[in-house]
Amino acid sequence: MRSTKIMTTLLAGVVLVAARPLAAHHSAAMFDDTKVVELSGTVKALQWTNPHVWLQVVVEDQGRATEWSFEGGSPNSLSRQGWRSTTFKPGDVVTVRLRPMKDGTAAGQFIGARFDTDGHTIGRWE
Amino acid sequence: MPRPVSAVRLAALALALGGAALTVDAARAQPAVALPDWSGVWAMQGPTVFDGATVRPPEGRTGQPGVREFPPYNEEWEAIYRRNIELVREGSFPDPISLCGVPHGFPRIMNVPDVYEFAVTRDAVYILAENGPGIMRIYTDGRGHPPAEELWPTYTGASIGHWEGDTLVFSTISLKGASGNDVIVDRTGLVLSDASRATTRMRKLDDSTIEARMKIEDDKALTRPWQVTKRYLKQPPGTWAWDYSCGENNRNPVSASGKTLTLGPDGKPLDRVTE
Repeated sequence: MRSTKIMTTLLAGVVLVAARPLAAHHSAAMFDDTKVVELSGTVKALQWTNPHVWLQVVVEDQGRATEWSFEGGSPNSLSRQGWRSTTFKPGDVVTVRLRPMKDGTAAGQFIGARFDTDGHTIGRWE
Repeated sequence: MPRPVSAVRLAALALALGGAALTVDAARAQPAVALPDWSGVWAMQGPTVFDGATVRPPEGRTGQPGVREFPPYNEEWEAIYRRNIELVREGSFPDPISLCGVPHGFPRIMNVPDVYEFAVTRDAVYILAENGPGIMRIYTDGRGHPPAEELWPTYTGASIGHWEGDTLVFSTISLKGASGNDVIVDRTGLVLSDASRATTRMRKLDDSTIEARMKIEDDKALTRPWQVTKRYLKQPPGTWAWDYSCGENNRNPVSASGKTLTLGPDGKPLDRVTE
């Protein structure tokens, strides 16, 4: 586990240009689309299920470990974009880019991720 | 005791019945046109804003505060839409499909993410939406709409169609609309009433594009017909459409107040809920 690495807030306009709507089955009102945050941690699980995949990552911050839930698109659409059910494995060390929850809870809308072992990325990571 | 029937009378009866059957078949038969090839997997072009031609701001997306379209609502339904827009702004406009129990319904089925397949057969066209999943049946075997007493409002209604050259023209009636509070048109807050109906013209523009032009009428909600066009782009050969079950792992149920929750991996809400 690693400490929180970067907390970045971008201007809303910049975020919206990069945004592509996820194939969500629910409103995205709970996410703050004016912010993009990066967190580093260790993958606990990838729930490869409909209607959304969920990436569970344990993030350590000042000695305290917190499990974060990152919501992605449907496995159907993600598989057509090159994802696989094994794309994230338990123990992978990753940096995740996300739109955080407005209420500050440990969850967010997945944007992209970088694998620290070799630097390859998945999702949107411009 | 039954009367004996002569062979001649039996033959005459058979001819009469056969003739009647032929007459019905002839009436139902479609013109001998080659059905278009709509095979493959398709994806809707653009975001899930239903009427992209009128959305404001022009790059607005469903769910963003203040985004709206401009259907020709009457005063009463414009007020309903404005209330819904305020609920979207507050994050408490529930999307019925988030409950994983009801289909999108028509016309929303023409406006969903993920992919589509369009199955064209002699007697019917089936619109298969991976998301949901959703099914829309359009009968093209020459039947008419059922009589009113045989109908009841449903999510996708009753659709009959015919081919005009390469264009599928179909009429949809008997829709639930917003009557049960479990059908919306999109997440900006758009809704239609249970008096809504539509005539849709659907055709292939080129090898990679199918277009659906909907003329929506609604005597309760609209002051004039509402024209909306959606397009679908062909996906690369060999693309798969997959099973989709909304209830498989729904971590976004809707609270009693209409707020969409986010559950943790243990099934408990992560949100700071105070209700």
